[in-house]
Amino acid sequence: MNSILKSLRLPKSWLKNNAILITAVRSHFNKDYKPGPYPRTKKERIAAAEKYGILYSEYKPYPDDGGGYGDYPDLPLISADSKDPFYPWDSPELKRNFNEPLHVEFDLVREDRYDVSLKLRRPMWFQLAQCLGAIFGYYALYALCEKAKMFPAVLPKQYPGDGRKHYTFETKS
Amino acid sequence: MGNSYAHNGYNLYFHPEVTPSPVEPPTFDPNIGFANGRKERVMIATEEEMISAKLPREDRDYCAHHLLKFRACRKDNWPFPVLCEHEKHVYLNCKYDDYLLRMKEYERERRLRVREQKQLKTVGA
Repeated sequence: MNSILKSLRLPKSWLKNNAILITAVRSHFNKDYKPGPYPRTKKERIAAAEKYGILYSEYKPYPDDGGGYGDYPDLPLISADSKDPFYPWDSPELKRNFNEPLHVEFDLVREDRYDVSLKLRRPMWFQLAQCLGAIFGYYALYALCEKAKMFPAVLPKQYPGDGRKHYTFETKS
Repeated sequence: MGNSYAHNGYNLYFHPEVTPSPVEPPTFDPNIGFANGRKERVMIATEEEMISAKLPREDRDYCAHHLLKFRACRKDNWPFPVLCEHEKHVYLNCKYDDYLLRMKEYERERRLRVREQKQLKTVGA
């Protein structure tokens, strides 16, 4: 049975030679996943802006340097973490409105990923100074107290046969 | 008297001339101030007994005979070591008195140092 099923599989050489086709089928690729060609004329630009649902004045495609972005707009990169959480988004979990075009790097700046527009409450040098201040501050305390160690007010324990005579506090006779 | 542990450390660093160190033996003659001298401490347990009982070195002090009695009692009365409460009490009291003696020796050493410093000052003035 197994040998019959094995014989039904496509030959490996065919799979190897048609990698693009196989990837496209497996990923449900269709033409809408791909941006159009880079807009050269004003008419093409207006059409592209309309296609992506943004104003013509705001439309700016990526430079045609072989990056492959075509007419896709170069949108401001704002992380989901930095967007207003109280705005009534159509899709609150993505902080995105219906039909709003996504940035090319959208999958990197979601709430569960990296925050590129993060504003630190304290600058990084201040945080480093805090960290080192704590470390060396405690070391300084330790180094200072090392000189004057506390101890109970007793002399060393007396053992018979340590080469000296030991006495009680009673007088003789 | 009435010093805290921290004060001892402070005094040893800033006034070492009047503060005895906890790791050094006393420096004065032990019989100063005693007309007839002091009684010596007596070691009752013998070396052979302690070796035979395999006492660790830190237990071979002036209370060792109480410890030997206590251990023998435990062995004899096992599994009822509570019957040795008297022996245990005697041994722990002996250890307490030993510690008290060390405290007294420390205070004696400290006061003698203070006295010496005072005498040095009067001689200088």
